[in-house]
Amino acid sequence: MKKMIGLDKLPALWEQLSAEGPLYLPIEERGVVCFKPWYEGAVVRLDALNGVVPPKDIFLPREETYMRYQGGSQTLEIEAVSPGPDDKATLFGVHPCDLKAVEMLDRVYIDQEPGDSLYRRRRENATVVALACSSPDPFCFCNLFEVDPADAPGADIMAYLSEQSLYLETRTEKGETMLAKAESLISDAKDEPERPREVKTTDFGLYLEGLSDNLKERFDDPAWDNLYKSCLSCGVCTYVCPTCYCFDVEDFGHEGAGERFRCWDSCMFGHFTQMAGGHNPRPDRKERVRQRFLHKLQYYPQTYGEIACVGCGRCLRSCPVNLDIVQAVKALGGEAVEQR
Amino acid sequence: MAEKSLKEAEKIREIVGQDLLGGRIGLLLGWEKGHYWWQSRPLFAKNEADLEKLTWDSFCVINLSRYLLEELKEHGKVGVLVKGCDARAFNRLLQDNMVARDRVVLYGLPCPGMLDYGRLNEEAGGALISISESNGSVTLKTGTGEKSVERDQVLMKKCAECVYPDPVVYDQLLLSPQGKKEGVERFKSVEDLEELTPDERFAYWEGELSRCLRCYACRQVCPFCSCRECFVEQDNPRWQGRAYQPGENFMFHLVRAYHGTGRCIDCGECERACPVDIPLQELNRKLIKDINQLYGDYEAGVDAEADPPLLTYRPDDPAAFSEK
Repeated sequence: MKKMIGLDKLPALWEQLSAEGPLYLPIEERGVVCFKPWYEGAVVRLDALNGVVPPKDIFLPREETYMRYQGGSQTLEIEAVSPGPDDKATLFGVHPCDLKAVEMLDRVYIDQEPGDSLYRRRRENATVVALACSSPDPFCFCNLFEVDPADAPGADIMAYLSEQSLYLETRTEKGETMLAKAESLISDAKDEPERPREVKTTDFGLYLEGLSDNLKERFDDPAWDNLYKSCLSCGVCTYVCPTCYCFDVEDFGHEGAGERFRCWDSCMFGHFTQMAGGHNPRPDRKERVRQRFLHKLQYYPQTYGEIACVGCGRCLRSCPVNLDIVQAVKALGGEAVEQR
Repeated sequence: MAEKSLKEAEKIREIVGQDLLGGRIGLLLGWEKGHYWWQSRPLFAKNEADLEKLTWDSFCVINLSRYLLEELKEHGKVGVLVKGCDARAFNRLLQDNMVARDRVVLYGLPCPGMLDYGRLNEEAGGALISISESNGSVTLKTGTGEKSVERDQVLMKKCAECVYPDPVVYDQLLLSPQGKKEGVERFKSVEDLEELTPDERFAYWEGELSRCLRCYACRQVCPFCSCRECFVEQDNPRWQGRAYQPGENFMFHLVRAYHGTGRCIDCGECERACPVDIPLQELNRKLIKDINQLYGDYEAGVDAEADPPLLTYRPDDPAAFSEK
């Protein structure tokens, strides 16, 4: 049975759901929309297109302390720090492209032995409400990666926005449990919710069939000699990319006491591969740009079966010099022949 | 695109083409079109085929001077197209001894200001298909009709506040000068912030900087951030922690801003590059304003021969800290 809730009742819904744990919503602050825990008075923008930063930080926080230590020269006491009450989160309003990206991270962090316990716990405890996307912008190209903007198969609840209401279609037990908590605000949808019509995005004339295999032997391809030239060596593309998942581990403290945390890191930074002793296997922008795009287009698909891009368009919107994955694929010959 | 800029692009191609194909320069830094008409991205032209792609339109916003740092390692002589801000960026690099003047050919492009796609869209109020320009106005074509707006209304913020649209240094000026812009109000938002109490101001910056991803795009795009090794990456001592804590965000942005004191050319590239719209120019301009008050008016990057106030010493320099 499909359910519905009037848009005017949403603030009450947010209040109710956030009592259970952090409720992440696309929230606008000073003109920028990002997923943030809901708070009284937050400007919730369910109508917004993808926020600048993808919701990956809910499962893979920008920084996370996982160990504390204390001791002296002879002994060291180590205490594991596990996620706090934050891990019972609800993620509300994720678009299908972003949810598919989270599933790509799942393969890395959960679907192997040993899995990553911090990520796994956050992910398994979270309830995800996906929101159908009806108005992609010129940078959206999720169709190319078989994402249906109107349907996210992995969601606990699939939501559709209409002018007056939000329709909710429960997909899992977790989803039902969540809706049960808000029973008083939600009613049965009398008629079939207006599912968004087929949503078409651009494809930039790309043709990806066979590209991953083709790239296996092209580590030294001359295309890499030009592609990196405009790269500024900043980390925007990696931090706004929903499928980038690298982190760094650091200690904060001194000999007597401190903590160990991990935080986002970017393969676009020179220090990412800096080794003790001074060697750096990726000394320059060329090696780093190649690494990032080969990771998306060849290494990830070789291991997990599909290209690590969902067409969310964030690198196209945010790169200060317009060096994005579409330009990379084109430079590597991934354009549809008839469009050339 | 406007007829005028097409003609101008043709002229630019012709002139730089003679130098590039004639071997006077080994590389030309210019712009080419991106995926869409509202994007122009850096072009690294080495031959005739590359030159075909060279574009000059109202979206050539990216500052090319910084690329000299890398390209001069590879090429004996590099040509670069410079707008007003790019030329000042070049002077900045020159004053920091990061580039050799005789190895760079500067082609000056007096700049009418670049257009902001976001603002164009807002004005259009619907799906914007294309624009055309004539005599200081821009016609926006949408699915439902056309609308004309003043060009000044749809400029990028950094261009609307630009004082020096004409290159201040060049070997050859390729277009007619625009003239220095008078009456530009650059310090309004700084003055507003100065009105706040310290606590309010702290809260303001804590909020703004909380969005910082520490992607360092502001640093990477910046003409005064040309240090071979940034304090951020130095690990002994470790100045900058990796954690995403408010204190660490303050550390980065304040050290960076102070390092730019008297050196920031006010090009606004940092703010443009920031993916989360942190108003970085307010930090830079506060320092520009203070420098002007303490040491007399100084415009970084305008005159490569004029020493930056904090890099010189005069016995009558104010000592603002010790006097307090």
